[in-house]
Order: sequence, then structure tokens, then C-alpha cells
Amino acid sequence: MNRLRTLFLAPAAGFTVVLFLIPLSIIIGYSFLTRGVYGGVAGPWTFENYQRLFDPLYGVILWRSVVMSTAATALCLLIAFPLALFIARADARWKNIYLYLVILPFWTSFLVRTYAWMFLLRDSGLINSILLSLKIVHEPLPLLYNETAVVVGLVYGYLPFAVLPLFSNLDRLDKNLLEAAADLGATPWQTIRHIVIPLCAPGLRAAGVLVFIPCLGAYLTPDLLGGGKSIMIGNLIQNQFTTARDWPFGSAISLALMALVMILLMALLRRDGEEAL
Amino acid sequence: METALALTALMKTFPSNRVVDGISLNVPKGCFYSLLGPSGCGKTTILRMIAGFAEPDSGEIILNGRRLNGLRPYERPVTTVFQSYALFPHLTAAQNIAFGLERAGEEPSAIPAKVSRMLELVGLQEKGDRFPASLSGGEKQRTALARALVVEPELLLLDEPLSALDPALRKRVRIELKQLQKRLGITFLFITHDQEEALTLSDQIAVMNKGKIEQIGSPREIYLAPATRFVAGFLGAVNWVDGIGVRPESTHISRQAPANGVRLIEALVETSVFLGDCFHVQTRTNAGVAITAQVDHDEEQYANGDRVHIWWHPRDELPVRE
Repeated sequence: MNRLRTLFLAPAAGFTVVLFLIPLSIIIGYSFLTRGVYGGVAGPWTFENYQRLFDPLYGVILWRSVVMSTAATALCLLIAFPLALFIARADARWKNIYLYLVILPFWTSFLVRTYAWMFLLRDSGLINSILLSLKIVHEPLPLLYNETAVVVGLVYGYLPFAVLPLFSNLDRLDKNLLEAAADLGATPWQTIRHIVIPLCAPGLRAAGVLVFIPCLGAYLTPDLLGGGKSIMIGNLIQNQFTTARDWPFGSAISLALMALVMILLMALLRRDGEEAL
Repeated sequence: METALALTALMKTFPSNRVVDGISLNVPKGCFYSLLGPSGCGKTTILRMIAGFAEPDSGEIILNGRRLNGLRPYERPVTTVFQSYALFPHLTAAQNIAFGLERAGEEPSAIPAKVSRMLELVGLQEKGDRFPASLSGGEKQRTALARALVVEPELLLLDEPLSALDPALRKRVRIELKQLQKRLGITFLFITHDQEEALTLSDQIAVMNKGKIEQIGSPREIYLAPATRFVAGFLGAVNWVDGIGVRPESTHISRQAPANGVRLIEALVETSVFLGDCFHVQTRTNAGVAITAQVDHDEEQYANGDRVHIWWHPRDELPVRE
């Protein structure tokens, strides 16, 4: 039995050690080194990379990332909740079709889909063309290359991650409770507010975490839809490893981001744990 | 007596079958009224139509002179004790009970007093701050009852509320439920498939079968004078001899032929079953008809193969129409 257990764990353990723990150790090592003259890393050991994190310049980028990720997460939950409720209440026959539709975007690359958004939003894009031809506006609206475009892109990209945990939570909700609430005089809105949302708190938290974390580390969406003007932490890290050639500082930012996410997750997990009691 | 609930020619058809087939009945105010029938007889569908979870295809639901058809569940002055209790798991017993009061727009300052009076009424004064997960089956059932009663509904619907309790508890809760109903004077419509439960609790019983009402009457009437074979059989064991029905407790057995004026048949004892409070002696007549007679402990005992006389008084014959 024990040997079987080891055998079953081996692929995942090997995968994690080789592709995650080893690279992570390298990054930790790099973060205490100095930038090489032609890129790469060199001695001596230093804490300087971490001290630089407190530069107000980077603080602004971190703050912007948090604000935009929060906005994207809030919008995702706002859109995903009614959608998940609709799917959960649908006929068993339709449920699977709706769920397929939710994950349908995953069939194509995220990069391609983000480019599609550029074609929609740019000055000569679909939305502006329609508005112009209908004479609703006289010059193109600045839809692309701003923070709103980035948030729209993030919401689009991570919406399925919010729908799925909410759906699984809502689908398991005892329908008798909804009838009991109505029976005791609760309107549909009151039932949602006092019964459905409180009982969906675990699903809402899971959805929030699953959207917020990838949003915080996003670099493709802000790069393409933000036009490099409103960069997020992901872009900052990317820059350090490419144009700036400052791998030690890039490593330090990566680790700081990981630490931030871990603190957030632990706070949420503790709450879930308390509720389970 | 004044009528609380009146159902008139109620019909409901689901895709493959007619579940409720022309139900008409009147529930008097303050009455403990039971709908009794086997599962699938349509009694639960009737309850759901009164609560507003389903709409009848045709027919009327009138409660205290007001037509309920078409009203949403939350607009109806009716509450339900669900079979599964359906207590809100994230709210304490007290918060569950307060839920309906809050929805009814009750003065917030008046709610705690009403809730604690209700908790006391159902004997849960110590358990108000418990969540449903830490309540026993009986406590959950009483919380569900308190939650439905606290809003003072014009009609309380009970959907087999005792079926999830173990037998000993069920008998005790049955007595409490009956006393509570008498004290509060609220009209109860009770759904059950358990004939003993219906007989002990009800003022009036409507026996249902296949979407139709077979008979309406007091417990005594439907037990002692069942109108149909179905009612006779559903309410208790019956011996059927040439179309005449007699209950085992009215069926006597003896070795010597009894005096005149009784119906008499000769039979052979097949088995004798001990039931705790009595024996059921199963016999078979020469014509091959199975007859069960009830025998007390102090009576003579019978063994397999004994040749006996089975007899009963004509007044004990069930006056079944068909």
C-alpha cells in the first residue's frame, strides 16, 4: 500500500521539484546577487534589490496593479454570479451546454483572444466603426491603450475562473431552502441577499482568489491593451528580464509578488477554516 | 363551521400523468385536517399548489375568502413545515425563526420577544443560539415548526414532518403537535402516508388515491365505515370474505361453534404470529380464503393444523360500497 502510494505521488512530486522548486531556488539566489555588466548575474551578495522595492516609482506600479486587479475581480464576480445562478437553475439538459460555452474561449490561445480585443477596441476597430457609421460619435472614442481597456481584457480573460467555482457552489445549494425562504415571505431579491449569497461565501471567495491572483501577475493584457502606458507588476518583472537586463531585481519583484499573494491566500484560508468549524 | 381553505375542482397534469384529478374539499377554520394517501397519490402536489410552488391547470384555491391562484409563494398567508425541514444552515435556530418576521416587516424591536416566546412554546428556549447542524432531529423539526408558526399564518401546511424522526420520538412529537395546534387554533393541513398518524392527529381526514379523493370524514368514520375497498385496506388490515370486509380485531376464533346470530366459517389454522400486544392467527377456509383473527394473550392458543370456527358479528362488517 505504501509503495503504491509513493508510486502514485511520484509524477507530481517529480514535476514539482524539477519544474518548480529548483527554478524557485535559482530565483531566490538571483535576488540576492548583483546585475552583471552584460546582463546575467554576478557577485557580490546584496540586499539592495529588496531595498529598491520601496522606491515610490515601484510603489505606484504595485498600487495600480492592486487597484486594477481588484476592479477586475469585482466586475468578474458581479458578472459571474448571476450567470452561475442562471446555469445552476437551468434544466439538467442545458446545464452542460452552458458550461461548455463558458469554457469555450479556452479552446483558442489567450494571445489570439487578446489581439481580437485590440481589433474590437482600436480607433478603426469594430466598435468605433459602428459608432462612426451610425453617426453616434464624430471621431473615434479612445477605447484602447488605457486602464479601462486593461480591466476589460482582464475581466474577459478570467471570467470563466469565477463562473466555475460559483456554479459548483450554487448547483449544490439545497433548492428546498429557496422554497422555504419564499414560503416565509422573502421576495426573490431577499432570498438571494439573505440565503443564496451567505451560503455562497466559500464559492465567492474561491472565485475572487482565482481571478485576483492571475490578474495581479498579468503582463500580456496590460502590455497589449494598455499599450505600455499603464504597466502592471507583471510588465515590470518582464522588463527586468528583457530590456532592462536586471535579473536580480526582476527576481526580487517576483518573490515580493509571491509573498503578497501568499499572505492574501493564508488570510482567506484561515477564514474558511474558521467557518468549517 | 366557517371554512378556512376551499379547494374546488383542482387539476394538475404533469407530462405523463394526471397527478391531481378534480380535488374539491373544505377545511374548517381551526381544524387539524389530513390528506392521507400512498406516495404518488397527488397529496404533495396539492400542498405545493396551495403554497404557490406549483400552479393548478384548473380549479380554485380559496383561503378565507381570498383567491390564492396566481399569487407568488411569498404573497400567500400560508407557511410550510417541510419534510426535510429546510432550515437555513447559516442561521441559528433563533435567526431561522426570526426570518419570516423580518420579511413581514415586523418592528425590529418586537422580534426578539416573539422569537423567544416561540422557542419556549416548542421547548427550545436553551437552544436558540445553536446552528441547525448541532440540533437533533427532533429539535430541527420543532425549529421548523416554530419558524412557520411565528408569522401566524392563516394556514399551516405540514409535509410529512414526522417521517424523518425515529418511531419512539415520532409518537411523542405527535401528541405535542396535536396539543400545540389546539392551543394556537391555527388551521393545519397535514400530509401523510401513515394511517396511524392521520388517525391519532386529525379532526378530519381526506383519503386520496391516484389523484382523487376516496373519502372524507372523521378518523372514526373512515376507519369504522370506509366507503371504498381502498380506504378500508389503507387504514388497516381487512379480511375479505365474499366481498364482505371485517377487520382482524372484530374477527373471532373458537373450537366450538358459537351461538346463533353470527357469521360463521370453518377454517384451518396456518400460523400464529405474536405481535406483542396480541396474536394474529392466520387461517384458511375450505374455499381457500385467508382470514386473520386477533387473539388476546389470555385467550386459548392455537397451533398449526387446528380445525377452528371463524366468526364475527354482522354489525362489525365494514359498510364498503363497492
